[in-house]
Amino acid sequence: MMLRTKTSLVLLAIVSTMAVSLSYSQDKFRLKPGAKGKVCLTCHEAFKEKLKLPFLHTPVKAGDCSDCHNPHTSSHGKLLSSSVNRICFSCHEGIVPGKTRSAHKVAVEGNCVKCHDPHAAKNKNNLLLAGNELCSGCHQRLAKEMAGNKFKHSPVEKGCLNCHTPHASAKTLSLLKNDVPGICVTCHRPDAPAFGKQHMGYPVAKSNCSSCHDPHGSGSRGILWGKPHQPVANKMCNQCHLDPSSPDALKTRKAGYELCRGCHNAQMNEILGRNRIHWPVVDKTSCQNCHNPHASRESGLLKEPQLPLCGECHGDTIERLDKSLVKHKPVQEGNCTKCHMPHSSNNVFLLDNTTPINLCGTCHDWQKHSSHPIGEKVADKRNRNLAMDCSSCHDPHGSEHKRFTHYDIKMELCVQCHEQYKR
Amino acid sequence: MRNALKYVLSASIGLVVAAGSHAAEPLKLRMMAPIYVDGKGAGIRQPEGVSCRGNALVVADTGNGRLLRYAIAGDSWTPGGEIVLPQLPFPIRVDVNSKGDIFALDGKSRRIGRVAPSGEFLGYVAPAGDVQGAVVPRSFRIDRDDNLYLLDVYSARVLVMDPAGKIQREIPFPKEYGFFSDLAVDAGGNILLLDSVRKRVSRVAKNSPDVAPLSESLTGEVHFPTAIATDKQGTIFLVDQNGSGIVILGPDGSFRGRRLSMGWKDGFLRHPAAMCISDNGPVFIADRGNNRVEAFLITE
Repeated sequence: MMLRTKTSLVLLAIVSTMAVSLSYSQDKFRLKPGAKGKVCLTCHEAFKEKLKLPFLHTPVKAGDCSDCHNPHTSSHGKLLSSSVNRICFSCHEGIVPGKTRSAHKVAVEGNCVKCHDPHAAKNKNNLLLAGNELCSGCHQRLAKEMAGNKFKHSPVEKGCLNCHTPHASAKTLSLLKNDVPGICVTCHRPDAPAFGKQHMGYPVAKSNCSSCHDPHGSGSRGILWGKPHQPVANKMCNQCHLDPSSPDALKTRKAGYELCRGCHNAQMNEILGRNRIHWPVVDKTSCQNCHNPHASRESGLLKEPQLPLCGECHGDTIERLDKSLVKHKPVQEGNCTKCHMPHSSNNVFLLDNTTPINLCGTCHDWQKHSSHPIGEKVADKRNRNLAMDCSSCHDPHGSEHKRFTHYDIKMELCVQCHEQYKR
Repeated sequence: MRNALKYVLSASIGLVVAAGSHAAEPLKLRMMAPIYVDGKGAGIRQPEGVSCRGNALVVADTGNGRLLRYAIAGDSWTPGGEIVLPQLPFPIRVDVNSKGDIFALDGKSRRIGRVAPSGEFLGYVAPAGDVQGAVVPRSFRIDRDDNLYLLDVYSARVLVMDPAGKIQREIPFPKEYGFFSDLAVDAGGNILLLDSVRKRVSRVAKNSPDVAPLSESLTGEVHFPTAIATDKQGTIFLVDQNGSGIVILGPDGSFRGRRLSMGWKDGFLRHPAAMCISDNGPVFIADRGNNRVEAFLITE
């Protein structure tokens, strides 16, 4: 009997606690009846105008300001109840799934407010701007190029979201709704006679369309990338590929650099004749490590601008550049070939000159007539086999010191050699 | 007073932890001496290859387009002359077989030349038999039984040849890789491949056809490793060209530590290119950017 009473009391306590916490979660700030959705507006009067906009964020519509804000105190700006980069995920948890092939940087970083107004907006989904105008805010280079394109791609004109998903894509790169060519063949049917004719009878239905075509439009007919490879522009695919009627039509006539040598023989001989080769030139992928054989937006048919392209392998150097306090101009501009020869060289680091002094002198000519003594005849006191040159003091890729010196210029640099002045 | 006591206590704990972690570090490299010149006093220039086997040390004096020989005796060495050959104008990798023949990869022709101990050029290494595809060696290594392991970047494979040049094995590169710059063969006959771009070591077990990852990606521990060496115990050494240091891995590929740093003075490195571990004495590092070879002793 005693035991039954005790059990009942415990159960009563649990039920009471649950009831209290339920009511607390429903109205954790114990607002007066009828105050919900109105009490904040007594001070934030200007917000009333915002509420007249056609699209309201659900908590705003329900008057649940405290879903996102703490009315009393907070460790976060705007009295948000958690960090501005995390708060949206408390409701919109799966917006960027754990495993994705591509994700929008702003979404991953929780910068939702770059695109959405957290309260209300004129546009659906609380977007700050409508249509492509929103995307153009960040993707300015692309927007500028698209505006100047003579040949437009109609889905792009209708809206970026025709092909792209805004937050993340689990299956595809570049936030595409479907892989290439899957997304292209929904409009461009490969079995149509015109399609076959345009592609010289080559079986390209499963190929990567964006290897030749710029999906955002182009200045060239057929929306080929701005700088097409001459055989592509001339529709001479069989110059590199087997005959379109052959069973393996897309196979190239030769492998590696031997294929490119067919036309670029003199250049290849020059490249292969130097002492130091850039090893990817002679590997299995060869020229295609850096060049797109069909067409590109970059000059020299480069797959990407130099900095990201070189950075694919030399990521450590790019990372160092990013951390560098002072930037070297060619490096900052991503002009790696200002100093390096990309294919081969007779000089160390594939430099475009026999000595660092001559190389640096192509821009910094003053150092030839007024500088610390440098040159073959000036020994480096630290090492009997070295002469003083620009790299004795400077790291051309940058450093954490002013003028990208190896050491702090005031206290450490000079005393590396002039030890008698060390303090 | 209480604060001072707290400070002393935390400092002591810090010191103990630091000492503990230091004690756990496996190997150290103790500077012995640098090699700046050949037997005639002429300076070394941009050396990119180094090999030590038995009492022979061979340096690819790349910038001067020659091979240099030294005789190792315990903890010291003496110059043994230079080899200058028109067939090997730009040696970048070297190794030596049990007969004392020197093998050198020429960076310009991208062929491996064989040189007799007398200095006579014996010809280029050519795989015997039916080999599909062109061969472009990026590196090579000779094992204790004089088998030659060739890292063929053009056809994306490792070719293993017996001393007569006959192909024993052909190991294709794995599907996913960045760029393999060097290889090593450990005491057990396993092949180690260094992926400079993915900053990872892969392993081909003896008689296995497959390349399997050995280490995790070493991003954060190494900048741009371009050469690999291993000792009798299976410890792996990576030459970090851009990081101007040596990274040590355990036989299982686990990160064990980083040694040496960038500098011009003796004991420092500037863009090192290769490393060899002699049987009973020092290790030699081709310190390319400093125009010298440096010798270190491995200590516990």
